[in-house]
Amino acid sequence: MVKTEKKCTCGGVAASDAENHARLAQVIQEYQNKPGALIPVLQIAQALFGYLPKDVLRTISEGLNEPYSRVFGVVTFYSFFSQVPRGKYVIRVCMGTACYVRGGQAVLTALEQELKISVGQTTPDRVFSLDVGRCFGACGLAPAVMVNDDVHQFVQPGQIKDILAQYRKPTA
Amino acid sequence: MNITMNGRILEVQTGQTLLQVARQNGIHIPTLCYHAHTGPAGKCRLCLVEVGGMRGLQTSCTVEVKDGLVVTTDSDAIRSARRLVVDLLLASGRHDCLACEKNSDCELQNSAYELGIERPSFTVDSTADTDTSAEFVYRDNAKCIKCGRCIVGCNQVVVNEVLDFGFRGHDTKVICDDDLPMGKSSCVQCGECVQLCPTGALVDKKTVGKGRSWQLDKVNTTCPYCGVGCQITLHVDRTSNRVVRVTGRDIAPSNGMLCVKGRYGYEFHASPNRLTQPLIRKDGKLVPVSWDEALDYTAGRIKAIVDKHGPDVFSALGSGRITNENNYAVAKFTRAVIKTNNVDHCARTCHAPTVAGLAAAFGSGAATNSIADILDADVLFVIGSNMTEAHPVVSYYVKRAAKNGATLIVVDPRKIDLVRWASLYAQQRVGTDVVFLNGIINEIFKNGWQNEEFMRANTENPDDIREWVKPYPVEKASEICGVPVDTMKTIARILGTAKNVNIIYCLGITEHTCGTDNVKTIANLQMVLGHLGKRGGGVNPLRGQNNVQGACDMGALPNVYHTYQPVEDPKVAAKMAQCWGVSGLPLKPGYKIPTMMHKATTGETKILFCVGDNTVQTEPDMNKTIKEIKALEFFVVVDIFPNLTTEMADVVLPDVCFNEDDGCYSNMERRVQRLRKAVNPPGQAKPTWWIMQELGKRLGVDLRFTSAQATWEDMRRTATSMAGITYERIEELGLQWPCPTTDHPGTPILHLHGKFTRGKGLFCRTDNRPPAEVPDADYPFMLSTGRRLWHYHTGTQTRNSVGLETIFPEELLEISPVDAARMGIKTHDVVKATSRRGTITLKAWVTDRSPEGVCWCAFHFHEAHANVLTNSAYDNVTETPEYKACAIKVEKVSDGVPFIQTVQRQARP
Repeated sequence: MVKTEKKCTCGGVAASDAENHARLAQVIQEYQNKPGALIPVLQIAQALFGYLPKDVLRTISEGLNEPYSRVFGVVTFYSFFSQVPRGKYVIRVCMGTACYVRGGQAVLTALEQELKISVGQTTPDRVFSLDVGRCFGACGLAPAVMVNDDVHQFVQPGQIKDILAQYRKPTA
Repeated sequence: MNITMNGRILEVQTGQTLLQVARQNGIHIPTLCYHAHTGPAGKCRLCLVEVGGMRGLQTSCTVEVKDGLVVTTDSDAIRSARRLVVDLLLASGRHDCLACEKNSDCELQNSAYELGIERPSFTVDSTADTDTSAEFVYRDNAKCIKCGRCIVGCNQVVVNEVLDFGFRGHDTKVICDDDLPMGKSSCVQCGECVQLCPTGALVDKKTVGKGRSWQLDKVNTTCPYCGVGCQITLHVDRTSNRVVRVTGRDIAPSNGMLCVKGRYGYEFHASPNRLTQPLIRKDGKLVPVSWDEALDYTAGRIKAIVDKHGPDVFSALGSGRITNENNYAVAKFTRAVIKTNNVDHCARTCHAPTVAGLAAAFGSGAATNSIADILDADVLFVIGSNMTEAHPVVSYYVKRAAKNGATLIVVDPRKIDLVRWASLYAQQRVGTDVVFLNGIINEIFKNGWQNEEFMRANTENPDDIREWVKPYPVEKASEICGVPVDTMKTIARILGTAKNVNIIYCLGITEHTCGTDNVKTIANLQMVLGHLGKRGGGVNPLRGQNNVQGACDMGALPNVYHTYQPVEDPKVAAKMAQCWGVSGLPLKPGYKIPTMMHKATTGETKILFCVGDNTVQTEPDMNKTIKEIKALEFFVVVDIFPNLTTEMADVVLPDVCFNEDDGCYSNMERRVQRLRKAVNPPGQAKPTWWIMQELGKRLGVDLRFTSAQATWEDMRRTATSMAGITYERIEELGLQWPCPTTDHPGTPILHLHGKFTRGKGLFCRTDNRPPAEVPDADYPFMLSTGRRLWHYHTGTQTRNSVGLETIFPEELLEISPVDAARMGIKTHDVVKATSRRGTITLKAWVTDRSPEGVCWCAFHFHEAHANVLTNSAYDNVTETPEYKACAIKVEKVSDGVPFIQTVQRQARP
């Protein structure tokens, strides 16, 4: 697996769509004719655009000479790839067995009500996206919720507002 | 190496799988995901077997043989495991067999039967949907067992690259593009997926409810569309006398693959529009008459006019769309009964320059290699061929070769769909092929990449060509042909250093005033490279129509008898006269089509006898053609449908079509293949050979045509290179001529080891000659014409079949985005295209297939017909008109509405 760029290069200002497309073209050029290029290019594209819109998939398909259906097939196979814009924070509620029996569903319902979105969607201000996970390997902390890389343990529906507030604050 | 299977000791080869060995030795192992075309997938786990020394059951489709393996293909454990597989597959879908099209033909149902499964142990409600959006393919995803055969077929067999698996786990399904309904996707409806599907998940939509497999008769025959000559099985409902389904046969040249026309364009034979009785013009109107009246009248008129003015006022047209037997019948009638050589056919309008050019260079005017050889080349050089539309099955081979690592070079003035699979694309200006090719040859010599050994050993004048291309250094050639110098250099290097180059071309080369020169230049290039007379190489023109090769072979040409025996040779004429029992066969070559037609206006042609040609719509400059036909004294048309040509005829005689009589076609690789009668002809339609026999009888000559086979046998008696081909020998697989004797195996590769038919190969000098008409201030666009995927010839077959016209209902003028933007034209706007000869009004298709300054349209629709615009200027050697270049102007008439709301499609806006 190729390392994706983690470092922010925008200097605090989001790169324009045109700049992202120019960068994507460069990336495709670098990876052209290399076997197994599709997944790394998709990863980089998602890092650039935040998600994988159709025109980006089309560009990658043509650039790497991969059938469009294959590109789409790979994108829909891996849950990592998203075709809808993602929020700044991706909230994943664990629905593994342990979390589920200890009230994961109630936590999820509370989040849906609070954010007014359902699973797979993003808030209109693009701060939060909501997903479910299948066991984070933290069953002792059940029910668990991850917000980007932070793990929240023993979450109760009543704590949701406070948790979200932690992330809302810095952007306000 | 030996293995033991079910106690039998079997000899095996390295690399074989257990399943292959079993199939080869008649040992049954059930499979679902395996298909000989798509290879092993190891998914369905139905082919489980026990292998001594291996733990657990093994998938026989993936395990390769090893010496001494002991294999058991049937046991309680195996049956129990197979039963579980089938049980779960049945449980997880909605396998309702009662009304399923695949009932009795379904591999899942057959497996259940074999394993004694009456119903699944439990059922899971399937949420899978159906997709009825496509014109020809019906998808029932609840019957999909996710074996992936359709996906491999789409991506690796026909390489249309539309299908794949999408989503994950329980949600996994077969998707088209990005999960579009099939009818809105880039699918070209070739139906390969339907043919590969083991269940009823993919079925032919038009066949639904038209009869169970066991109720339909299966008749093997040859596809009536392009010159590839795909082998097909017609599924015939005897009670309604109709073909209800077409499938591909697993033999050469097509190996099961078909295109949308071949698989789904079959209803025309049963169209209510067919001509069903003879018609004679009385008081200006065509009225039905009996055969006797029509034949007596026709024979009487011919006799009266020929007696008065001599035989040369008679001209006949055979056709690339009728059988060998019928072309021979027309040619023999013209020569033996009328005593003139004025017989020609539509190869004049397409590949006559191929016949002339390749015959001059090599001694034989046909394709040198077989279609399947494409897979053996390491470089494919395709010039002037829009094969994904005009010869789809050849394009499957080319795309597959490219995907498997061959270098594909595409040279075409238009950015055609094939470019997507090309390693290199060169966009030459229309009509600059000689310059481009001479530039490449020059560069090859400059770098010493020529095959000096081949040239010295096998060609007559190896030093001449080096001199002749000297005026074409790539820098200068590039200025004229518009291909960048670097691209030309790269192409020269790839060609010059390749192990095996296959040159494929089509009408982009021949339909020019310099057509014969273009062909000769291609021959020059290949003789310089030396990839001739071996597998995988050669010069391979793609013949346009189903039997245009055969019409040439049968002597429907003014200068040769069947199998290319010259009419000027008194010995040949004497042989024919003796065998046919006639005297006074003419030694003077006859008129070519343009001359025949032109002489109508000067009174030198008075009778035109036209079989299956639709002359009005196929000759260039339609207004001129109409004027010429009007000047005729007597005009007879034999055809299967009324068209613009029959409208002008004095007598119209109804012909049978491809599945209503026996016969044979010769395909583009010289393979003579059988046609078989599958249905009864409509009304009183009769085969052409019968018509010629009856007319001959009335004019005092017994032509001895008593059946299609008798006609073929009559031809064989005086034939040379086809004398060894009999109906019995081509019962199963066609034979490639030359095949002079009945024990000759046929000739897949011409000029073996560089031993040319004419002795030594001949380089011919060619120089730049621009098209007869080039754009100027008044007519600023170059118009090029051709064929579309969805239609064929003048549309009589495809527009009388269900569905093709729905997909592509009207002609469109392709125009480049740059020109369109400048003129304010959008796709589907109505535009007027005008040349010096006429005007047509049609919708526009703004597409980057067209380069700036070039427009393109086809000749399928009489409502907006390219040949109203085209120029009748012709090649000086063969009189082949310049369909590929004329000057037009384009004006926008009004904003238009799209005929179909789709975003993404191949070969269509």
